[in-house]
Amino acid sequence: MNGWTLFGPVTLLSVVLLFVTYAILFERKVMGWMQGRHGPNRLGPWGLLQTVADILKLLIKEDTIPRNADRAMFKAAPVIAFVPSFVVLAAIPYTKGLLFSDLAVGLLYYIAISSITTIGILSGGWASNNKYALLGSMRSVAQMISYEIPLVMSVIGVVMAAGTLNLTGIVESQKEVWFILPQIIGFVVFFIASLAELNRTPFDLPEAESELVAGYHVEYSGFRFAFFMLAEYVYVYAMAALTTILFLGGWNPLFGIDFIPPIFWFALKFLLMVFLLIWIRATLPRIRMDQLMQLGWKVLLPLSLINIFLSAVLKEVFSGWY
Amino acid sequence: MIEMNGEFIAFLILSIMAIGGAVFMLNFVRVVHMVLSLAFTMLSIAGIYVLLNAEFLAAIQVLIYTGAVSILMLFGIMLTRHRDQEAEGVRPWHKFFSFVGVAAFLGILLHTLYRTPFTEETADVGRFSVDWLGETVFKQYVIPFEAVSVLLLVALVGAVILARKESKS
Repeated sequence: MNGWTLFGPVTLLSVVLLFVTYAILFERKVMGWMQGRHGPNRLGPWGLLQTVADILKLLIKEDTIPRNADRAMFKAAPVIAFVPSFVVLAAIPYTKGLLFSDLAVGLLYYIAISSITTIGILSGGWASNNKYALLGSMRSVAQMISYEIPLVMSVIGVVMAAGTLNLTGIVESQKEVWFILPQIIGFVVFFIASLAELNRTPFDLPEAESELVAGYHVEYSGFRFAFFMLAEYVYVYAMAALTTILFLGGWNPLFGIDFIPPIFWFALKFLLMVFLLIWIRATLPRIRMDQLMQLGWKVLLPLSLINIFLSAVLKEVFSGWY
Repeated sequence: MIEMNGEFIAFLILSIMAIGGAVFMLNFVRVVHMVLSLAFTMLSIAGIYVLLNAEFLAAIQVLIYTGAVSILMLFGIMLTRHRDQEAEGVRPWHKFFSFVGVAAFLGILLHTLYRTPFTEETADVGRFSVDWLGETVFKQYVIPFEAVSVLLLVALVGAVILARKESKS
């Protein structure tokens, strides 16, 4: 056990917390500009300290637990929801040398661990003993389960093209051409399904304010609420990084511009993905529950199956070129 | 004699977690708590798989058992009778007889384990890889694989038909 074993995760946690703090500010700013507003601009220069103040407010708020709640589960749920979101980051490679664990089944590890968060959301909604919370968590889980299937299916095309489940190997096999070009159907399905997995607009039905108050975390306040929010934004980080690795070629440079270091290429693509998520949130309205299920099962799932079939045909027919 | 290395300590912790989850599952009163402790046990078993170099199996264990099966159970409980609590057992002799039964089972198990000679050579699990697994399943054992998938499909369709029939009546 060397110093890196202890120091690395702590560094990663601070990087992720910094990312979450400024991603929230960035999101509010970008959404403000898109809607003709300024966004937060009072606290600190250019509103830079707004999120810091918001977090401070959350930390010193009274921690309320409803009288009829299931106390133990109410306390455990934010932990169950947050821990997997941080654990999945262990498998993500940033550059060839900068990674925590080079798992042979890295992609599968990500998908498996991230499914545990669903239990946290479900038990949080149930333990609150509130009908809105229960409805919100039920919706959330139904949505996450339905969209996990097209998410995994769309990735199979990438796995077939790369011939490995190892995330470093997948990036290495995109040296010539990024998978977004040959796997364009896979990318579209993956991106839509990842929006739904992240519970973001247009798939933010679990916390639809106008019908469910706030969904599964309606009874949560203070630090426990912060943990649910944190888990959500850490998943934004993880999903943007995963999309970059799977479809945008990870740290591989575009047009052979390799005087920019690989880590900057990764950061650039990663930030592009984060911006795309925010852009969509500011632009699209929320879709209805039945439309959500139809889109998942009747459109995305068949599309991802077709994608698998096409990838197999392409791999066999154009085995030299592809 | 057993060596006290990192692997042994990890195995000890993981197996205590797995057994602890199972014991809690038996002792909890509310059904939802039981399912959560069951999920905890499944997760610990996945950890033991990692120790045995079976990373693929561990990921699948987490995906299917900890994720899907537990959530399915939670869904089932929450949508049906989620305020139910199990009634306390009233038969006084029940505990004694079950203890005797379990002790006898443990005795037989240990006896057989110590009597069986393990002479076979241990397979090398260190060089196991996912593509090797894929080739074995999809090339060597493709017909059993297909037969099992058809069987599962039949079960799935049967479940849907049974459920629909009940909702009509």
